[in-house]
Amino acid sequence: MMVTFSESAQRNLRDYLRQARQCLRGSKSVDADEVEQNITEHIESELEGVSEPVSCDDLNAVLQKLGSPQQWVPADELPWWRKIIFRLRNGPEDWRLAYISFGLLVLGCGLPWTLGVFVLASFIVSRAALSEAGDTSVLKGQRWLLYPSLIIVYAFVLLVLLTWPLLPLIPLADEFEHVFRESSSRFDEDRILGISIVAAGLGLWWTVLGLIFLKPRRVLRIFFNPFADELCSKWPLRLLLVGLGLMILSVSACVLYYKYII
Amino acid sequence: MVLTDTLHCHIVNCMDTKIFDNWTSQLRKGVLELCILNDIRNRKMYGYEIVRRLRKIEGLIISEGSIYPILSRLKRQGLVETSIQESPEGPARKYYKLTQEGEDMVSRMNTYWQAISGVTDSIEKG
Repeated sequence: MMVTFSESAQRNLRDYLRQARQCLRGSKSVDADEVEQNITEHIESELEGVSEPVSCDDLNAVLQKLGSPQQWVPADELPWWRKIIFRLRNGPEDWRLAYISFGLLVLGCGLPWTLGVFVLASFIVSRAALSEAGDTSVLKGQRWLLYPSLIIVYAFVLLVLLTWPLLPLIPLADEFEHVFRESSSRFDEDRILGISIVAAGLGLWWTVLGLIFLKPRRVLRIFFNPFADELCSKWPLRLLLVGLGLMILSVSACVLYYKYII
Repeated sequence: MVLTDTLHCHIVNCMDTKIFDNWTSQLRKGVLELCILNDIRNRKMYGYEIVRRLRKIEGLIISEGSIYPILSRLKRQGLVETSIQESPEGPARKYYKLTQEGEDMVSRMNTYWQAISGVTDSIEKG
């Protein structure tokens, strides 16, 4: 039995069978050729008695009852690369966004000139995935895909937060180097004073930062989600203590300088 | 107030529908497999014939095409075997029938199903 289809119906049927082949290909549990043969037989049997050439509407009614081939094979039976494509196409969102986030990061690494843009885009997608998931404990394998860009951005932000008081010194670096080299042969009190002032500033900033991280945790929790709990538990106190220590040492050095040197 | 109540009802209804859909979808998968195996238990059948019989059971099949991958999987698992037979109405057809392994499996499945449905009934009746 051979059914004659109209041109548009034939095109629809070809598309449908191609889609079915794509969905079944790579499935470990299913013989794609056998299923395709059964589907073809099914369509021909269903259209038996329909006036030929079979119209697009008649064919679509049969295809609709057959359903989308994407529903036929359970996602867990697909090979890993098909799972990725399937999840990218159909979700769930936590997986789809996780793959997009990691993909953007990998793409950024391949294009070093635009690394920052891709890392930022990956970061935003990761944050969207976290919002979508709500509770991060439900994320399992997705963490490996979502966290890299988050860690990169958070590490960068923390580094800038911790060291920005040193930034104004960068333009003076050459000058300092020059002065230090000239005075390297003897014990230079001015050098100690300069370092002490900068260290005191840094210590003060770390103390302030430690205090900020200790108290208003909500903003930080939102910003550093999902690492805020780790960040706000022990580190603020340590930072506060180190900052205070640094400040005391530096101020002591300055006091000693003014008392004994000048 | 009325608007928020309506919205709340709508959300709850949507969630209920989603939960119910997920539940029926999971239940259907296993039941459909059992129905296919029981269908070809007594006599061999070709694919379209199985679909035609099972489509009469309301709510069992959402997409008729899903039966063919199940048949293919059951064959790979060694629970069913196929044979080609000439058809008076057209080209040769592929017939499916249970293997001895499939026969044993469907017996176990039926026993389990009866036990489960019996327990469910007794719980429901209190």
